Amino acid sequence: MTAFTREEITVGGVKTVYLTAGKGEPLLFLHGGGTFHGFEFAKPWAEHFRVLLPYHPGFGESDDDPGLSSMQDYVMHYIELLDQLGLDKVNLVGFSLGGWLAASFATQHTRRIRKLVLVAPAGLRVKEAPTADLFRIPGEQVPAMLVHNFDVIKPHLPAGFDVDFTVDRFREITTVARVAWERSHDPKLPRWLHRVTVPTMLVYGEQDRIVPAAQGPHWARLIPGATVRTFPEAGHLVLDEKPEAVKAVQQFLQ
Amino acid sequence: MPRPDDLQFNMFHFMPYIHLPEDHKKYESVWVDFPNTIYDPVKGNQLYTRYLREMALADKLGFDGLVVNEHHSTSYSMMPAPSLIAAALIPQTSRAKLCVFGTPLNLEYPHRVAEEYGMLDVMSGGRLEVALPLGTGMEYWVNPINPATARARFRESIDILLKAWREDGPLAYEGDFYTYRYLNVWPKPYQKPHPKMYLVGTGSPETVQLAAELGLGYSSVFVPISKQMQAFAELRERSPSYGHTFTRDKAIIGIMAYVAETKEKAEQEWMEHLFFFFKDALRTTPRYLVPPGYVTPAEFRKRISGPNLHGELTWEGLTEQFFVVCGTPDMVAESIAAWSEQAHSSRINCFLHLGTMPHWMTVKNMTLFAEEVIPRLRSKAPDMRQSLPQAAE
Repeated sequence: MTAFTREEITVGGVKTVYLTAGKGEPLLFLHGGGTFHGFEFAKPWAEHFRVLLPYHPGFGESDDDPGLSSMQDYVMHYIELLDQLGLDKVNLVGFSLGGWLAASFATQHTRRIRKLVLVAPAGLRVKEAPTADLFRIPGEQVPAMLVHNFDVIKPHLPAGFDVDFTVDRFREITTVARVAWERSHDPKLPRWLHRVTVPTMLVYGEQDRIVPAAQGPHWARLIPGATVRTFPEAGHLVLDEKPEAVKAVQQFLQ
Repeated sequence: MPRPDDLQFNMFHFMPYIHLPEDHKKYESVWVDFPNTIYDPVKGNQLYTRYLREMALADKLGFDGLVVNEHHSTSYSMMPAPSLIAAALIPQTSRAKLCVFGTPLNLEYPHRVAEEYGMLDVMSGGRLEVALPLGTGMEYWVNPINPATARARFRESIDILLKAWREDGPLAYEGDFYTYRYLNVWPKPYQKPHPKMYLVGTGSPETVQLAAELGLGYSSVFVPISKQMQAFAELRERSPSYGHTFTRDKAIIGIMAYVAETKEKAEQEWMEHLFFFFKDALRTTPRYLVPPGYVTPAEFRKRISGPNLHGELTWEGLTEQFFVVCGTPDMVAESIAAWSEQAHSSRINCFLHLGTMPHWMTVKNMTLFAEEVIPRLRSKAPDMRQSLPQAAE
């Protein structure tokens, strides 16, 4: 299977690192609030697309910029990144926090998107099936909540207390706090999601304990023509847990 | 008026809720998520009554200041609104400064703090002193303010407070966090331009720098003594470059002391309460201490790589971290003299009630401290003019 190449680009003064592989239509993937589980799941996409896997500023190998303090700042970051890379239109896949970002991006820049996939997206307040407040859950309890099958993320976790791992998570949750501490959703999303006029699919793990799959129909009601795929025996990290989900995304985008 | 070099002693009271259930150790933290069903308002009423009496007594004993501070959602302190305690103390006291050390500016609107403190200063005829803390990490879990932007907001709030007090209103203020079309605080303080003001810090260079820049005092809490000394040294060195003179009253040290007839008696009476304070009253989780963004990742790394302060506490460990002493008046006076000299400090916050100390012990400790320790310290400083109690009554 294709290996990723690591690239660096400076966007708005912030060093932004992205992994890339493959040829064809571009597929931009926006990760969630933690990058510790890596991007292995995305490798099959590289056989069909030019896959771009950036680290958001404040995550992974990209630099910090405390000045990016709202979801809108990240939308601006990505429109600049697309411009700089000369990408007119992309297939956009966003997961969790990155799903919220992708949805916000899509309400404003729907013309820059070919097709949109939202994987267990955060950002919508659904009173009947609320998103878990990750700030309230002690860090050590989070990994088990992310998956249905713990073996899937076990290789990405340190054996015991690990300073580097703990500092990395603190840095990433700090970045999340900057945009989402006051409110872990965007109350304006329901008002503007109708502006997403590209084919859209939502993907959930049936056992997602962070963003319940029951939120899917709410998104589908707000985005014209959106469809929902739910995969059994999978949690929040449905792409890591279910190759079928990865395949479904690929087929939807093709 | 005391001169900056005159030693001044403040009685500092945390006013804790001490009636914890027998199984309280099953809770990892007595902050943030410690169930409020544990609080019995009848017992709370008795405690407020008792603690206010202790503070009123401290005034009569000749303490120079009475210090209260603010914490939220915890049994550690019953003062989420310390201005209320200060207000209650005004008619019960006559000479001591009322030191509200203080409300984290981020947890209120800054003009509102300016108003509250202005009221206290006017009501007390100019007896207010204030210290401005960022607030512990725990406060940010129980308030809606974002810990990741707290420091920037704090900096702006200090600007607003100083502007509201140092300049004449009506003013206008436009910032990143607050816009005031009319910043026009009524009443402005009794003391001109404003009460003596300190920043409270944990030794971070930014806060010391800010105090030096703004000409404010500095008080550091819950950091190792070596780090405190470093912070005071920086304040002394940096103040002149901003046109401010460092004076000893700009450095506050906090001491925990218990005075008794003998060292043995002091240990026998005090130790269980001191250790209750550190092991039980302060008990919380690393997560609550440092919410997301409360410190930089680099500072976070230092904190988690260092010694675990929540582990088994020893007397030796405590004395490295805190100014702690117990014994005869001579012993206590000797330690405090050395610490204040080392820190170039003339303002001593005295934690003379801690944890579960009963009323009689608090009264004994305050009385012996006021009558036996303070005079020894004042006579040890012959180069400093004695601070005479003002004939207020």
